[in-house]
Amino acid sequence: MTKVSEMTDVVFDGVTEPYIPGPELNISPKLKLHQTWETDLDPVTYEVVRHNLWNINEEHGATIQRLSGSPVAMYALDLNPTILTEDAEFVYFGPYMQYMSGVTDTQVKWILEYRSDNPGINDGDMFLANDPWVGAAHQMDVMLICPVFWEGELFCWVTNCLHQYDIGGMTPGSFCPSARDSFDEGILIPPIKIIENMEIRRDVEEMYLRSSRKPEMVALDFRAQLAGNITARESILGLIERYGPKVVKGVMKRVLDISEQAFLDKMAKLPDGTWQDRSYIECCRPGDRNTYRVVLTAHKADQHLTFENEGTAPQDGAMNATFSGWRGSVIVALNQLLCWDQNFAVGGALRHVTFDPTPGTLNCARHPASVSTAPTQSMEISLYPAYNVLGKMIYASPDLRGDLMCIGGTSQWPATIFRGIDQWGDRYGYLLIDPIGGAIGAFSTGDGISTGGQSRTPICKLPNIEHTEQTFPLLFLYRKEVPDSGGAGKYRGGLSAESCFIPHNTDQIVQDTLSSGNSVPTSTGMMGGYPATTNSYRFIKDSDILERMSARQMIDDADDVSGTSVTLQLRQENLIQNPTDVYAVMWCAAGGFGDPMERDPKSVQGDIENLAITLDSARNIYGVVLDETTGDVDLKATETLRSGARAARLGKNGNGALKVEGESLLDLTDTLSLRENGNGKRYTCRKCTTDLGPQGENYKAHCLQENATLDHANPLIGDPHRFIDDTPEFRQFFCPGCGTLIENEIAIAGEDLLMDLHVEI
Amino acid sequence: MSEYLVGVDIGGTFTDCVVIDDAGAVTTAKAPSTPDEFARGMLDAMTTAAGSLGLSITELCKSIRLLAHGTTVGTNAVVQKRGDKVGLITTKGHNDVIHIMRGSRGVSGRDVRKVTHFPESQKPEPIVPKRLIEGVSERVDCFGAAVVDLNEDEVVAAVDRLIGAGVNAIAVCFLWSFKHPDHEQRVRAIIHKRAPQLFVTCSSDLVPKWGEYERTTAVVLNAYIGPLTSGYLKQLKRRLNDLGYRQPLQITQCGGGTISVEKAMEAPLLTLDSGPVSGVTGSKYLGDLLGYANIITTDMGGTSFDVGVIHDGEPAFSYMSLVNQYEYFIPKVDIQAIGNGGGSLVTVDEATRTLRVGPESAGAVPGPVCYGRGGSVPTVTDAALVLGYIAADSFAGGRMTLDHAAAETAIAELAVKLDMTTFECAAGIAKISEFQMADLIRKMTIQKGLDPRDFVLFAFGGAGPMHASVFAFELGLQKVVIPQKKMASTWCAFGAASADIRHIHEHVDIMVSPFDAGQLSQALESLKERSSEQLLREGVAESDQTFAYSIDMRHKGQINEVEVPVEGLNIASHDLDALHDSFYARYEQIYGKGSSFRGAKLEVVTFRVRGSAVTPKPVLSPATDLTPDIPEGAVRPKRSIYWTESATTQDTPVYDGEQLLPGNVISGPVVVETPDTTVVVHPGRMISVDVYGNLEIGLVKPEETNG
Repeated sequence: MTKVSEMTDVVFDGVTEPYIPGPELNISPKLKLHQTWETDLDPVTYEVVRHNLWNINEEHGATIQRLSGSPVAMYALDLNPTILTEDAEFVYFGPYMQYMSGVTDTQVKWILEYRSDNPGINDGDMFLANDPWVGAAHQMDVMLICPVFWEGELFCWVTNCLHQYDIGGMTPGSFCPSARDSFDEGILIPPIKIIENMEIRRDVEEMYLRSSRKPEMVALDFRAQLAGNITARESILGLIERYGPKVVKGVMKRVLDISEQAFLDKMAKLPDGTWQDRSYIECCRPGDRNTYRVVLTAHKADQHLTFENEGTAPQDGAMNATFSGWRGSVIVALNQLLCWDQNFAVGGALRHVTFDPTPGTLNCARHPASVSTAPTQSMEISLYPAYNVLGKMIYASPDLRGDLMCIGGTSQWPATIFRGIDQWGDRYGYLLIDPIGGAIGAFSTGDGISTGGQSRTPICKLPNIEHTEQTFPLLFLYRKEVPDSGGAGKYRGGLSAESCFIPHNTDQIVQDTLSSGNSVPTSTGMMGGYPATTNSYRFIKDSDILERMSARQMIDDADDVSGTSVTLQLRQENLIQNPTDVYAVMWCAAGGFGDPMERDPKSVQGDIENLAITLDSARNIYGVVLDETTGDVDLKATETLRSGARAARLGKNGNGALKVEGESLLDLTDTLSLRENGNGKRYTCRKCTTDLGPQGENYKAHCLQENATLDHANPLIGDPHRFIDDTPEFRQFFCPGCGTLIENEIAIAGEDLLMDLHVEI
Repeated sequence: MSEYLVGVDIGGTFTDCVVIDDAGAVTTAKAPSTPDEFARGMLDAMTTAAGSLGLSITELCKSIRLLAHGTTVGTNAVVQKRGDKVGLITTKGHNDVIHIMRGSRGVSGRDVRKVTHFPESQKPEPIVPKRLIEGVSERVDCFGAAVVDLNEDEVVAAVDRLIGAGVNAIAVCFLWSFKHPDHEQRVRAIIHKRAPQLFVTCSSDLVPKWGEYERTTAVVLNAYIGPLTSGYLKQLKRRLNDLGYRQPLQITQCGGGTISVEKAMEAPLLTLDSGPVSGVTGSKYLGDLLGYANIITTDMGGTSFDVGVIHDGEPAFSYMSLVNQYEYFIPKVDIQAIGNGGGSLVTVDEATRTLRVGPESAGAVPGPVCYGRGGSVPTVTDAALVLGYIAADSFAGGRMTLDHAAAETAIAELAVKLDMTTFECAAGIAKISEFQMADLIRKMTIQKGLDPRDFVLFAFGGAGPMHASVFAFELGLQKVVIPQKKMASTWCAFGAASADIRHIHEHVDIMVSPFDAGQLSQALESLKERSSEQLLREGVAESDQTFAYSIDMRHKGQINEVEVPVEGLNIASHDLDALHDSFYARYEQIYGKGSSFRGAKLEVVTFRVRGSAVTPKPVLSPATDLTPDIPEGAVRPKRSIYWTESATTQDTPVYDGEQLLPGNVISGPVVVETPDTTVVVHPGRMISVDVYGNLEIGLVKPEETNG
């Protein structure tokens, strides 16, 4: 398999291979671009127009939110509005579904290249598009793309993307867990002109709606998208009328230039090098028991960043994503860690970023791979590890390390797709969206945020249980945060939650599962931090829940009922849930930061008080002893326990440890430094300066290594062999000098050590 | 002896009192607020007012016809996180509702940076810790059926544990309790039996609405401020009674209008944010007097810029409120704010030549650079001083002297980095600030289907009238009114005095079209009965009660609801078409023509009744003599002011607003100073004094220019 940069004779046109725009766009001369702008803007005009542009985009999003018909889209905020320059660089995108950014500029560039001649791009046109090979996360994310013209020239673009309730395909809702390829899935629409002279083309709209099981909802959503674009287009034209096209364009370009400069300033603070993360997806089709490796690598050379996915498993089954999905995912982390201070103007940074994937892999699949489940699996696994990769990169700068964040919750989606007849007698199909409750990963400065949402959608909100129960025939027994779910660490990852329900006012519910990350944790920690728990389905068949209810004994854990516990597989189809079958779904939580034995014992006491961890974990993972009667920390016993644990690590494998006395050049992680002595530049334990090998080698190979089963990483993780044949292991790397935990990794047995960082200074 | 209407508003620094006599004569007084015992400051202010009338406090109290009071005890407790220790009893299995916060981090209304930069995006400190949340067995479903009866043994054990843990208040919120209040009421009875003095609040009483998170936050917040607020009110009531006050004490609430003190003790949550709402109430009163039905109210102080909207004589409402990152159900006069006040900090990035204003604020301490209290970052007030809008020696009625040189130096430092002159930079700061304000007003009007050009703008607050003539005209408004004379400085107290008694009752009952007219009427009828009973309890005879009805509706499957007014109670089947039509009309007014979809089914969600009783109103007497002649005493020394329009400084006339007379008209550029604010009138505009002494800014019409 070869990387895009090595494939010289291939056209990346979005047909079989993904569309990857070249450095120069091939645009028909029929289309005139507006490309003159004011460079000497006074700061006041700049700020006023900039603020206006931001508000226009915000109002665009608000319009769609108010008008969309679909609760899936509305609660999960599965939408995003964008303003782009005439040549498709981002000016602003919104605080909604973040990965939609990376699928937007490529769509627009494709339209410029492939639609500017025939049928032409004219004032009053809009294009409808959802083809993931051109640029969409999956078929349900339908974009409406509007060119904005001024005096016959293409001035800029306003676009939006909105997840549709159903766009066809073999499964209601269009997530198709058992699709063989994209021909089993929803309709694919390369950009087509659906609005001409500001009027809907009936023929095109009818073709679009015809594929959906819920055409009236798609029609309502289409009007929401249309209203959003109209609002944004009119507002931008108003701005041009008032300030002139050159000024408005000048502001757009300047927003980009400023964000570019801010990005370059940050790059200048960081060493060159390579950072890498490796994780796994499970189960790509019903009955499958394999794991699939996913690798993300970032190279930094001077001002430039390159992302690759080399080493990632080939496309297979129904788990894949396309290039635009992968790129969009990586941009989410890039934006949040390196461009958060630029109000979503990521375009400037992207001028210095190259994406060089290997086509044919599971997150850069070729047509006609199945991609409808991309956002729940291949994109999440492209997105979340990017926090690790970039987090370790920026840690090297004391100015930037406060911005890092460990992997958050729901880094794989435990989807619960169900259908039947609701309490009102109507047919329904739905995806339980509770996992957007997520969790936020630990920071380098403090704990993560329990049920703080999925970081890729920073403003989403779970529906109230009363909202879900009004619409679907369910009765929730509980929805609760789960102690110990968050990854342990000096700073703890946020907790996730579990939702548990029975059918109510219906005879039965037909369920499909769709998940990964149930065996191998995907929310790993960083710099000694532990992983969060995995996703989990619990299904208790023929339980005594109804008897308990009549006895006025409600439960707050699925274990409280008696019945037959059934292990659900990760792509199980047509499972019947009867009213006595208790179904609990827990989504994975967030990773921890730093060695848990370094956590302030007072914070551990607080964790117990706030039900964030259990007493067992306090002792076994954090090495903290609490007084049984008062609940206060027993400082002396804690110190004894912790130092004993460190000594035991050394005792087993310890051999003479060399110190590196030379000058410290850089702190690379919370536990690792780079120092220089007569033997050149060496990795060392940050705490005791023990030598961990020369720059260029993997420091882990110079640590004491212990391998344990996954339940040692997080007590809630169950037996992986329920779902996969491979054996994952929890590898820990300790300083041979002082026994401090330097780093952890999770790997399938037999895999090489991951070289997570390599700096070149 | 005359009978008086009295309004008292407790603010952060001062407690204001307004007394209005039978003839409409207004007396105002101020006294320092006394946070250790707010009642003292309140009585101090009333005593001062009584003194001005030549009365003793006892004499005044005996002759008050109605006393309306706005309190910030609850607001302060929430802001300073000094509320009581609260326990929560909820449906077993759902203990974590308030901690999960709907899987969000309480980011509504927060600066976007606090949304995307996760290290700054933490959830708030919990107002009820997990250990004080008790789940008990019970369950109601979406039809209101009790599928699990309340387990009273568990309730007793839970109550005892909470009392043992030392809680001072208990909040009760079960799933679907608005469909079936019985379980919550039984818990209330059990608590009452075991601890009769404990403050208890049930969600089915306070906010019988759909959505357990926003109901839970409402009851928990209510409990959190309950003991403090009710303790304060009880004490106040006793002291007023001791002084001879016999009439009902009315408390201002965030839904506009006032409620009885007893109701406020049960539902102190209604008093949160009631201060700014009284400002809107006062605006409505003044608007009625001046004949304006559409008003945008703006209040700019040191840290924020607050906007309210009155359309067709009715304040705009929101049904979701926000405090300390917690969203909660409470019908409230909608007031939106941005972090843009006189103290907003100005920052410059030299490398990118960019200039930003706010949202961070210097607050009162250290405050703007010119305050000389250690502030080193320039603010909007510093820019105003440099421009000459305000003068170092006449700011805030001369109560404070400003350091002009320090402000100038600070702004000059920024200007150099931006390659601008100091004046250009200061004018730029004012302009950025003014355009942000215009954007907020745009959001609250245009985005809700209202055209700002149909409105007049009322400008309050120390800093508002300085900028109003820019942001108002930017939006195409024709007129700015700056309420004057004694009212301006005691505006919220005045609003309290002019408020009607009002109760808003809501109930959720979701029904799908085709609707049953009888059921709709029935739902409104029962709310009206509750409202009427409440008013009767407060001594309002049935003949004095008035009711307004509305129903929140939506397309089935959509989330957004639209409030549709309903005429009268008896909805007949032939009225249903009209109900549909008014839904579509309202929907398209807000969301744009063609946005609704007649093919979809409709749902009704929330029924609402506003029960009101009109209280005696202040009667302000207009001046009969209008004079164009500006009294000599009104003329202050000219000063040099920088005007953006000409990009030069001009020697500009300055007047004492207190001395100007009804009928006076002055063309801009001009500055009018009052003890509370400074009005800046740009070239091309003019300012006049109306018959009530209010200042008005309008566009200069050709025939009205003067020298």
